[in-house]
Amino acid sequence: MPRKPTGHSSRLLPVRPLTFSPFARSVARVATAYMVKHHARDAMQHSAGDEFKKLKKVERQSESSEDEEFDGVVQADFAFFDPKPDDFHGLKTLLQSYLDNKEWDLSGFVNLILEQTTVGTVVKLEDDEENGVFSIITALNLERYKDHKCITELKEFLLSICLEKDKIGNLRSLLGDKAHDVGLLVSQRVVNLPPELLPHLYDALFDEIAWATEDEPTEELRNSFWFKFYIVVSKIYKHKNASQKRSSSTDEGDAFIYVKPEEEILHKLSMWSFLFPLQTQQVAAHELKNYQLNGIVMAVKAEDISSFRQQLHTLINES
Amino acid sequence: MATRLQFENSCEVGVFSKLTNAYCLVAIGGSENFYSAFESELVDVIPVVKTSIAGTRIIGRLCAGNKNGLLVPHTTTDQELQHLRNSLPDQVVVQRIEEKLSALGNCIACNDHVALTHTDLDRETEEIIADVLGVEVFRQTIAGNILVGSYCAFSNRGGLVHPHTSIEDLDELSTLLQVPLVAGTINRGSEVIAAGMTVNDWTAFCGSDTTATELSVIESVFKLREAQPSAIVDEMRKSLIDSYV
Repeated sequence: MPRKPTGHSSRLLPVRPLTFSPFARSVARVATAYMVKHHARDAMQHSAGDEFKKLKKVERQSESSEDEEFDGVVQADFAFFDPKPDDFHGLKTLLQSYLDNKEWDLSGFVNLILEQTTVGTVVKLEDDEENGVFSIITALNLERYKDHKCITELKEFLLSICLEKDKIGNLRSLLGDKAHDVGLLVSQRVVNLPPELLPHLYDALFDEIAWATEDEPTEELRNSFWFKFYIVVSKIYKHKNASQKRSSSTDEGDAFIYVKPEEEILHKLSMWSFLFPLQTQQVAAHELKNYQLNGIVMAVKAEDISSFRQQLHTLINES
Repeated sequence: MATRLQFENSCEVGVFSKLTNAYCLVAIGGSENFYSAFESELVDVIPVVKTSIAGTRIIGRLCAGNKNGLLVPHTTTDQELQHLRNSLPDQVVVQRIEEKLSALGNCIACNDHVALTHTDLDRETEEIIADVLGVEVFRQTIAGNILVGSYCAFSNRGGLVHPHTSIEDLDELSTLLQVPLVAGTINRGSEVIAAGMTVNDWTAFCGSDTTATELSVIESVFKLREAQPSAIVDEMRKSLIDSYV
């Protein structure tokens, strides 16, 4: 059952560009200004088998910016939900390029995420008839789901694209004998999702993992959430001329540009990581003409997560 | 029989292919699996032709056709037009039309006898459709949507329409088309029927997300279970035989 937070009113003004799918319409609706409402989990009120996550209103941050192109100010209220079967199509769209252009059991993967309702959060608009999914975050235990076709295909893909000999041993170990301690951290979102949501999203995930270690009905399931490592598969921009001697002048730019801001922190904290080339064609924006989009796989120790959460809060609150 | 398949992780089979009783068009895709699935089902029955239209792969949504003809938009290149004319049976008239609504597959839904079209289609286009495809043309909407080519798929034996079509509309359309119609979904609840599947009188291809229930509805309304291609194709044998070497 969906969570209904305590009363407030939200109006979505009909100033949107012409689009052809319900999902695109949702994205266009929040393309300009937005007002973000945060719902923090009330840590005291979780209990075993509780479907409802109690929500507590945090101070409303209202930020509205007027864009020259659109006439009005668009308001949007985002809310966090447990994954539900209805979210299938929205999730599938978000995860379309998760493994580059490899043909794999994407539907199976999405089903896996939807079935794991105890850990995993979907970001949608409140009271949205079209059910557009804006973001997903979840962690999947690689051992628990090892018999699923999508997970075997995913492991094969990661092993096949790892071209760095020194990392492949580590990767093989994490995907093989250490798999029961490894969580695949899946975090995808629409490009223009307000960054204010990110600390809360990650907090929600790691809190749910902690609760799951206590609340899951069987011991096996409880243990499956005691992650020691997380694997992240994502994309970053690498400077085409990145070499050993990095010029400190601002003309050169950074070696990496992160599509998702939190990945900069994860990358620094990671035990190891490697890049892989992408097959799909990239359309380069002018500012990114010196950069090449690469895939990246990172492994992060679970003990570094609390540091990550702190740094993420600082990063978002400063910007 | 209905087959489930994917085009490069997308379940929108009706976007990347166009199936009729006389030929099948398939987009040029990343892997050969898509083409092979059609070929294995249709080999020796009707030609399966790989093509692009206007340099794109969304051929199912850009063209409209039946056993008598194929209509392609003005954006189709000369080479593509020539390739189609060479590859399709002689009886099939391939015509490029000047219509501002260039996604003909979204605007026109047809079988071998009747066509439903977008309400804003040009008069001339309507005449060309009637002429080239040999059909009776009706301007219609489906569940309030003007893109009739997207929200319904029908053959000479049955049809599937947008799930929110009212009973009255269903009856009206059924009378116009003279085939049984059912309101339903494809690809696990998607309303865009024609994007998710392609069908002719004896076989259908659906996206792999299609549930067993949806598939059984499709097999039932399009009468695919007892359908044999030979009975239908024998009638067209004369027109098809020229295209085989």
